[in-house]
Amino acid sequence: MEQIIIFIILAVLGYTAGTLAERKHYRSIETRERRYLNLPAVTTKKESFKESEVENAILVSGNAVISLDYFKRILAGLRNIFGGEVVSYETLIDRARREAILRMKEKAGRADVILNLRIETSSIGQTANKRNTIGSIEAIAYGTAITLKKT
Amino acid sequence: MKYVPKELRGNVNVSRTSPLKEFAILLGGILGIVIVVYAALGIALDLVVTSLPVSIEQKLGSLYSSVYEDSEVTPAGTALQLMLDRLAAEIPTNKDSVQPPPEYKIHIIANTRENALALPGGNIVIFSALVKGAGSKNELAFVLAHELGHFANRDHLRGLGRRLVLLAASAALFGGDSRVSGFIMNSLLSVEMKFSQHQESAADLWALDLLNRRYGHVAGATDFFKRMSKQENRGRFSYYFATHPFPENRIRTLEKKIEEKEYLLKDKTLLDAVFKN
Repeated sequence: MEQIIIFIILAVLGYTAGTLAERKHYRSIETRERRYLNLPAVTTKKESFKESEVENAILVSGNAVISLDYFKRILAGLRNIFGGEVVSYETLIDRARREAILRMKEKAGRADVILNLRIETSSIGQTANKRNTIGSIEAIAYGTAITLKKT
Repeated sequence: MKYVPKELRGNVNVSRTSPLKEFAILLGGILGIVIVVYAALGIALDLVVTSLPVSIEQKLGSLYSSVYEDSEVTPAGTALQLMLDRLAAEIPTNKDSVQPPPEYKIHIIANTRENALALPGGNIVIFSALVKGAGSKNELAFVLAHELGHFANRDHLRGLGRRLVLLAASAALFGGDSRVSGFIMNSLLSVEMKFSQHQESAADLWALDLLNRRYGHVAGATDFFKRMSKQENRGRFSYYFATHPFPENRIRTLEKKIEEKEYLLKDKTLLDAVFKN
């Protein structure tokens, strides 16, 4: 009986807190994406400018760690039984990657373009691969920030 | 090529589904499957239990006996055993049912809770507090008859088997203990408890008939539950999840039966001094 009550409290708490945090995060992501719209980050290694035009080229990286909430984990656990798309994890990955790119762009400062963008993801935390625990995911985005000489 | 900044609208990486709806569908599905499997195994078990040979039950019973054998024989124990034997002699023989255990044995163990258990092999365990707290011989006789009722209905084996099914089902479905399986097992357990409450009521009514056959009246049959309902100030709600029905409901059921069958209520026999030690 107590276990059921604890379970329900945790699930409701997880759902409410998780949903609120997610909405807030998405609002923040969208605002900042608009701000950095003029700094393209592309996956190509070469660009059309000549080497002599480059003022500065440095490695920039940004990473973000996002945790699962209790409700999402239960939902994914149930999904594990039946199979199919684990929809509850989608926002997690999406948020982590976009946040990582934004932080990378922030680090790039007044650069004109970020070339060779790469994103990597890993599960994180001491207990990431154990059962019965809440895991988190880490996304790291890195690339080469190019600043061109101003003419 | 000139770079033209363009804002992306929408998000293809996140599905537009309601997590609550998904949760309800998945949980409903899993609960449905578990209940169907559990019910099927339960029905199969009931068939097995009613035809389980006495020899196997005796073997199971010897496991319990060896645990309680050490408890010393007290005068109260001897007196209770005598009462039990006389009650058991009155059990109607039914040719269709499987033979009952050849003998019933009383084990009194020191415990402050007022309770009694029916275990395989005809073993009846009585907690010492129940003997001390009893108000009359009739009250104790009803408790003994109630436990005999469990043997007659084979509840002692059923309880054992159902728990086994529950464990097996949980292990097969989830492999281990995860929070999900914990939740589902708990919900199933409350269904199980309802089943057990039904068994308790059946044993109560069975005991009433036996009491009447042995003594010719049923005085003191509801005394134990009356004491229980006075002692425990638990709310009615907490009994929803308990193995035994609400004491007041049990009293009401018994009184209804007494009226229906027109059983007599004669004077109660007081307890001898041996029971008070």
